[in-house]
This record gives sequence, structure tokens and C-alpha cells, in this order.
Amino acid sequence: MSADYVVEMKGICKRFGGIEALRNVDLELRRGEIMGIVGDNGAGKSTLMKILSGAYLADAGEIFIDGQKVHIRGPLDARRLGISMIYQDLALFNNLDVAQNIFAGRELVRDRFGVFIDKKRMYNRAAELIRDLRVDIKSPKMSVARMSGGQRQMVACARAIAFQCKVLIMDEPTAALGVTEANKLLGLIRNLKDMGLSILLITQRIPDVLAIADRVFVLKGGQRQDVMEVSKVTLDDVVTMIVKGKGGNGTAAPEVQYKSFG
Amino acid sequence: MPKVDISGLRKYTVLFILLGLMVFFSFTSPYFLTVRNLTNIVIQNTYFIIVAVGLSFVMIGGGIDLSVGYQMSLVGVITAMAMVVYHLPVWLAVLIGLLLGTGLGFINGVIVSSIRIFPLIATLATSAVFQGISYLVSKANTFRAYPEQFLLLTRGKVLGIPFDILLALVVVVLASVVYSETTFGRRLMALGGNEEAARLLGIHTKRMKVAMYTICGFLTALATMVMISKANTTNSSFGPGTEFIALTAAIVGGVSFMGGEGSVPALVAGVFVLAVIGNGMQLAGWGTYAQFIVRGLILLGAVAFDEYQRNLQRNRQKGC
Repeated sequence: MSADYVVEMKGICKRFGGIEALRNVDLELRRGEIMGIVGDNGAGKSTLMKILSGAYLADAGEIFIDGQKVHIRGPLDARRLGISMIYQDLALFNNLDVAQNIFAGRELVRDRFGVFIDKKRMYNRAAELIRDLRVDIKSPKMSVARMSGGQRQMVACARAIAFQCKVLIMDEPTAALGVTEANKLLGLIRNLKDMGLSILLITQRIPDVLAIADRVFVLKGGQRQDVMEVSKVTLDDVVTMIVKGKGGNGTAAPEVQYKSFG
Repeated sequence: MPKVDISGLRKYTVLFILLGLMVFFSFTSPYFLTVRNLTNIVIQNTYFIIVAVGLSFVMIGGGIDLSVGYQMSLVGVITAMAMVVYHLPVWLAVLIGLLLGTGLGFINGVIVSSIRIFPLIATLATSAVFQGISYLVSKANTFRAYPEQFLLLTRGKVLGIPFDILLALVVVVLASVVYSETTFGRRLMALGGNEEAARLLGIHTKRMKVAMYTICGFLTALATMVMISKANTTNSSFGPGTEFIALTAAIVGGVSFMGGEGSVPALVAGVFVLAVIGNGMQLAGWGTYAQFIVRGLILLGAVAFDEYQRNLQRNRQKGC
């Protein structure tokens, strides 16, 4: 087992009723890299990542973290292993403020038994996190219900990295953002990499991957097609792989439409 | 265009309504605004406050419990029979009643969290079951003449304040502390706000649900003790109807029907809004039946207002 990989998934299978969402998928994530996870709708990107984050249980397959075999039975297990996921819908609580969102489910406490919360420490720590991420959120007491898409994304991000996180999974983080906000977010993802995080980035926007990822992992029909070094491929190569797959016998790539995404 | 943020005022809406009602009823009857009448209103509503606080735990967690009134019916006759028919010591009878109520809440919690059905339907079903058992056990008898010690619960005073008022006060203060200072309270708000997100963050949503129904059951049983002690009599028809008042009071007091929001002081004010309307209408000679209509309209109005508030929030989000 090579400990160069911070995450290794082997032979992952997952069915939903009659639908085979993932077939025998292997994935290796290097320490400190950004890996783009791409594929068409329904290719299994989110399912694969949700198995890693504990939201789903795999039907078969093994997961290794830092070369150690682990069993991820739920979100708590994943969190203890340092894996955080930012879901596409962000999974925020609109009835709570920024700090309350960041610490939901793992409140900082005042007593040994974990009964009483330590509000002061939580607000201070939340303010620090916001500052570290250089986000334009004025106060950790702001309600997230009133925030813009970009700000909400930042709150979800702050929550994901608030506790020793080494692997961060992001599910289409730029999908709902405008151009400026999306670019800001890509900058932030690069900063997170510099901070030492290993990042899995699910996206439909191939140019995003080419701009910031080290490698790109292609799924099609629940099967791994290829993992490519971003420095060695073009947009067309990636799109062709997404559409045609490894065998290259799919339908022709609708190149123009895909390019227009950039 | 600058937007005026009035959301901070929402907390006080129910207080303004309460004050407005008191002013209104002071014109309709000269007896309304007397110390004696106002004291009566407080004394007559201690058990509603305790039930409403219990229900708030379930509602803030995103659930609903329609069975509280029927839990009271069953807990009431069992406690009364333990004292009057089986002549058990008062402490033991009360303990049995409290444990029973806690157990009924626990059963609700297990049903709601393990079978994925609407808590509205689940607790409607259990309420029928509870009522059936209550009548089977009591054989439709009325029990009266409780031991002196049991009556002390509502007739005893500490520093001139009736014991049950102090009890309600303790419940209110404890609940406020739980909501604002504990991990349980925080997670309850999270669960009520977004259940799936709570699950994804590793909050034990099933355990939380069982806990919130169990707390509700315990507080409902506690309220039952106050109710039957005050009346000094019980039969199986004591209790049903309470769920409507507690539910309406909770929603009037700003506990969202959709979960995740609520404050205890506003909830108490909500109980008094209903109490003042009932009392004021009685004094004005408008009778009991009209009160049903008014209560129904209030519930409708409060739910509509709650929904309106949520829509405002949703639209604001989209607008950004």
C-alpha cells in the first residue's frame, strides 16, 4: 500500500434498486493535490463522493486513508478521519446564523460532559475562520438565510475546514455562482490546497478543472474511464473522454456546446 | 432603496398583541383589568404553559404531537386511580403518572423516528389509542377526593406564591436554558431547520427525535398533575382539547410550525393571548361556543402569518 495516496478507494460498487450507479470504481487521491471529478449527469460522481463522506454506504469495495483500511459507516466516521464534504445544496441551516451553522453538531463546550455550549469561543473562532478565508461576511452573527450564493458557499466552506480536515470534497461549488464569485471561489480552492488540503472537486465546468486541478478523474455510466494529468490534456481530450469513454465508441462529442460552458 | 429591517420586532409581536387584547377587553368589561381577575388568568393557565413548553421541544425539532391531550387523559386517570382506588402513597402515584407520561412520549418518539410517516398522522393515531385505553381503564368513572398532600401541589404556597406557578416558572426557566445554552438545544434547532443537513453533519437525528417526544411526554404528565390537583377530580374526558390550545399558543408565540424556531418567553405570551381572549370573552358575556370559533380563526391566522414570514425569507434569498 503506497502511503503517497491520502485516499484510495478500491472496487466501489453501489446500486439504487435496479440502477447500478457505480461499478467497481477505483480512485486514488495524492496528498495535497486537487483532483477534478468529471462526467455526464448520472455518471456517478456525487454518489462516489458521498460514499467517501459517509452519506451513502457502498455495497462493495474498500477504502484506505493514508494507507490504512477504514470503514466509513456514516458522516461521523468520515469526519473523524478528516474527510469533509460540501454538498451541492450546501446543507446549511437557514434558521441559524453563521457561527451556529459552522458548529452545528460539534459545538464547542464549556464542561467535561459536553452539555453547555461556549458561545463566546464559537463566535470568536467563526470570526477567525471568516478572516482566514478572506470572505466578505461582516459578522458571524449574520443569518445565512439572507446571504448571497457566494457567501453561503463560504459558510459551508468554513464549516468544512473548521475541524482538522485533510480531504475536502466539493460538489459543483461554482454551479450556482456568477462569474466573479466563481473566480473568487477558484482562488480560494487554490489557497486551501496551499494550506495542505487534498481536494476532490466535482464539476461540470471543465475549464475550471483545467484552471486549478492537478489531475482529472473521468466517470461514465458508473465506471472509471481515465485519470489524466491536467498539464498534458486539452479541453477536447477531457470532453471526448466524458462523452465517448475509454473505448471511444460512444456518440460523437458535441464539442461546440461544451466549449460554450467556459 | 433602503430596506427597513423589522425582523427584530417580530419577537415582540405577540407581546403587542397581548397588550392590545388587554386594552380591548378592559373596555368590554369593568372586571377584566382587576388584580383578582388577572391573578386568576395566571393561576388557571399554569398547566397550559407546561404543556406548551413540552410541545415546543417537539415543534422546534420539526415534529408535532397531537396526542398530548390524550396522554393527559390516560395519565390523569391512572394517577387518580392509584391514589383513590388503590390507595398508594401520593409520591408513588405521582411517580407512576410521570413515568407513564414519559413512556407515552417515548412511544410517540420511537414511532415517528422509526416509521417514516408524518408525525401529524402518527400522533393522531396514538391519541386515539391513548384515549381508548384511558376509557377502558377508568370504565368512564369519575375519581375525586384526592389525599390532602396531592392537593398541596396547587393549594400550597411558597412566599405567598402558589406552588404550581413556581413549578411552571421553573419549567419555563429550565427550557429557556436548554434552548439557548446547551448542545441539545442547538441541535434541536438544527434538526428542525434542516433534517437532512443535520444527518449529514453526524447529528443523531433519530435519537434526538425520540428525546424530544419523551421530554414532551414528561412535561405533559407534569402538567396533568397540576390539572387534576386543581380540579380535585378526574375522568377520561380531562385533557383532550389541551393539545389545540397548546399548539395554537405555541404558533401564536412564534414557534414555527415548520420547526427550527421559537423562544420560550414568547411562547408563554402566546398562552396568555389565548387565555386573555377566553377570559375576556367570558366576562363580556359572549359565551363558550364563540370562543371555539375565535380560537380556530386564531390558529388559522397564526399559521398563515408563519407561512408568510417564511415566504418573505425565501424570496429575499432568491433576490440576492
